[in-house]
Amino acid sequence: MTGKMALPNHYFAGRLGSKFIIALRDENKILGVKCEKCDKVFVPPREYCERCMSKLDECWVELSNEGVITNYTVVNYNDKHLPRRAPYILALIKVDGADTPFPHIVEGIDAEDVKTGMKVKAVFAEETTNTIRDLDHFEPV
Amino acid sequence: MAKKNRNVGIVGIGQTEYSSHKEHQNQAEMVNEAVRYALEDANITLDDIDCVLHGNMELFEMVFQPDMWHSLGSGAYGKDQFRITTGGTTGASLVCAADNLVASGMYDVVMAIGMEKLQEGHTTGGITNMADPLWFRHLQTGALTATTATMMMDEFGEERAKKAAMKYRILMDKHACLNPRAHRRFGLEYEQADDLMNTSPQLVGELRLIHMCSQSDGACVMIFASEKKAKKMCKTPVWIRDHITVHREETFNNFGIEMPEMTHHYAARKLFERNGIKDPVEYFDVFEMYDPSAWWGLDWAREFLLLKDDEHIKLLEDGEFDLDGKLPINPSGGVTASNPIGATAMLRPAEAAMQLRGDAGPQQIKKKVKHALASGFGGTLWSVLMMLEKDLDWQEVENG
Amino acid sequence: MAEYFGTAVEDIFNTMEERFLSEGTLDVDVTIGYNISGEGGGNWKVTIKEGTLKVEDADGEVTDCTAVLNANAETFVGVTLGKLDAGEAFSSGNIKVDGDLTVLVAILPKAFKPFKPVIKASAIVESVEERFLPEKAEGVDIKIGYDLSGDGGGQWTVVVKDQTCTLKEVLDDDCTVIMRMEAQVFVDLNQGKLDGGTAFSSGQVKVDGDIGVAGQSASLFEKYVAEGAAEEEGEELISLKCVPSINQRYATGPTMGKWFDGLKEKKFFASKCPQCGRTLVPPREICAQCRVRCNEFVEVGPDATVTLIDVVYYASPDPLTGKIRETPYTALFMVLDGVSRDESFAHDLNPKDIDRIKPGMKVRPVWAEKRMGTYRDLLYFEIAD
Repeated sequence: MTGKMALPNHYFAGRLGSKFIIALRDENKILGVKCEKCDKVFVPPREYCERCMSKLDECWVELSNEGVITNYTVVNYNDKHLPRRAPYILALIKVDGADTPFPHIVEGIDAEDVKTGMKVKAVFAEETTNTIRDLDHFEPV
Repeated sequence: MAKKNRNVGIVGIGQTEYSSHKEHQNQAEMVNEAVRYALEDANITLDDIDCVLHGNMELFEMVFQPDMWHSLGSGAYGKDQFRITTGGTTGASLVCAADNLVASGMYDVVMAIGMEKLQEGHTTGGITNMADPLWFRHLQTGALTATTATMMMDEFGEERAKKAAMKYRILMDKHACLNPRAHRRFGLEYEQADDLMNTSPQLVGELRLIHMCSQSDGACVMIFASEKKAKKMCKTPVWIRDHITVHREETFNNFGIEMPEMTHHYAARKLFERNGIKDPVEYFDVFEMYDPSAWWGLDWAREFLLLKDDEHIKLLEDGEFDLDGKLPINPSGGVTASNPIGATAMLRPAEAAMQLRGDAGPQQIKKKVKHALASGFGGTLWSVLMMLEKDLDWQEVENG
Repeated sequence: MAEYFGTAVEDIFNTMEERFLSEGTLDVDVTIGYNISGEGGGNWKVTIKEGTLKVEDADGEVTDCTAVLNANAETFVGVTLGKLDAGEAFSSGNIKVDGDLTVLVAILPKAFKPFKPVIKASAIVESVEERFLPEKAEGVDIKIGYDLSGDGGGQWTVVVKDQTCTLKEVLDDDCTVIMRMEAQVFVDLNQGKLDGGTAFSSGQVKVDGDIGVAGQSASLFEKYVAEGAAEEEGEELISLKCVPSINQRYATGPTMGKWFDGLKEKKFFASKCPQCGRTLVPPREICAQCRVRCNEFVEVGPDATVTLIDVVYYASPDPLTGKIRETPYTALFMVLDGVSRDESFAHDLNPKDIDRIKPGMKVRPVWAEKRMGTYRDLLYFEIAD
């Protein structure tokens, strides 16, 4: 028997999440938050440090738009919810100044040539959607 | 049930406010808020927690294994974690699981997190999706049915039953108005009963909008510790005496010519029998019951308290379920006031525990509260029932 | 009172105190004169000094100030509300400033929260014809009555028929539904400041007639946006709306498979527990009470005896299609002939029997013409007489 599960959802980014996306969208900047106690910079930002529970909402740090690939994979299948047609590169990128990498798409290079440790820089979207994709992709420096 | 290895105390409770507008927080941040309150209440840090339990109903927010994402706020990094999702009973199951984990000796300090952000999903659609997709899904109307109302009107007469259900509803709202965290506080007065009874829009049959529970966002966190640690950590630990979980088949097939024993009745019967409770109305000082609608709250009072005929309606009519009555029900306002589904069933033992501790706030019962009863509900009429105690003195009764 | 873009000039001055942001003007010491000409205009002198505000009505033209703004009423209101471009207004001479222009440009935005026009219930109702969406009203034939009390209230009937919408300034007797409430409650509901559930539950809104129509009528009109409504105050909060849609295919398995095969032949098959003798409908492989496998099938029904009746007025959307069923509809709980007395079965009732159905009655199934072994094979039950 076939069926479909389709229910509407509406997710909130929160105050800090909103500021992060607005900075991507309006200023083409990547923002993180720093926990002084743990001496760690988290990106994307969150309201409290998950290790020591310090409040981080006033500890914004502007990070570089450049970073390194810490790991990557190549997506080889197509699905309607994926952001690109296969094959495309999905990598973990640690921007300079951050202690946590975050996942994003890497373009402008063949899959065989990607290496961890490669330097990449952010390319921002022309048409924005109020999501992480206002940062469109990273490409080799 | 086998004898416990050691006693389990509740040493910390944290709750967010319940509302339908938490646009300023994402899910992980909402969880974090309740975690911080609980840690503060227990006067400990994350380092003291050995194990984290996390629970909600995934179908509502459509985020699978949200405990992974929520580790950004739950502090679970580097700790043992279990995930529990048992429908509406999730919150209560979390407490049962925490009790089992600490009683067994596997962990000394366990933190349980129940949460839901219903604003981010579609509640009734989600509940309907619980039904067997082959046959029942297209028939189900979420959690809405008037069968209980119909049966009560048959048994007690239409007028008396409707008046009783409305009195119960207004009583719950009066309690909710005392609770600063409650989601819906209408400020209803008993004079409005006749008007509401006849003008509140009907959802199904005599189940009207006014009778039905809310859909809320919120999180509740409780911290449990072994007896030794609890006594060291906390000035007023309160204790989990016993709990029972009773499920039945995953279909709503018990509305036949004869009705089988309800899980609520079965749970109460077994739990009280093995604990030597002969008269629950006399024994307990407070009952935080999971009441998804005013009709169910009233009907299940009879089931859980093992009453007969119209004894439950008489107790209601005589004011014995009020805050200053013989057995106050839901000083917190109950589920009709606040319903963040993954947490709702945990709110019941949480509020009951606060009553035992004496720091429940404006909704605190004035008389001394030593014995508490709390229930959880979910699925196709499943029940979780638990007993909480202020002092560790029941052990003599058992051994005596 | 003369209104431009839904607002009177004096509304802007009357709300200056409440919109004043003291912290933004601690190092400020200026006076600003306003000479607004035209209907509804006037003269005002505004003094902002070290975090305090004074707004005075002036008799006649104001001249001796750090800056004096001269404009006609319509331009002044339009620019304040952001409906008219300030730059263009200056260039075209519609606004003239004597004195220090930078005062206006640098200080005013720091000193006041943006003006938000007061929305009146009557404005919302009186705009229904313009906001009507005929393409959404195919086959709709309803009359919605509004009985709003208090300031901005009134009585209206909105007639939607043949994909046109007409507004009448009376409350007709034969409305499909009448909504009664305070005018302010109506505005708050319409603008999303009060949620419908709370309003109904707490008795702030009373509905006579078909409440389903009331809910569905909202989709027939574009949202009302006040003329000159400024940007929402406060920070922008980002959210993501999406409808995750996942296709699924369920295997029925042999037990439910037998049930569905039976439907094709207009038959009901139950499983029987060898230990307690219960008949389970629909059939299940294990008897949950005995924890024993039920290998035997028995044919039951097709008629049944009704035990309980649920008349459903509020239908939730079907998660599989998003569609909402027409209400009211009736769900029946019944015991099929030959099934144990404590095992009920639930299904729909033929709408023609809604008024006659009572517990204890006998009902029979009504089958689809073409049956393919799915839940659609069984249409509903009807009274067997």
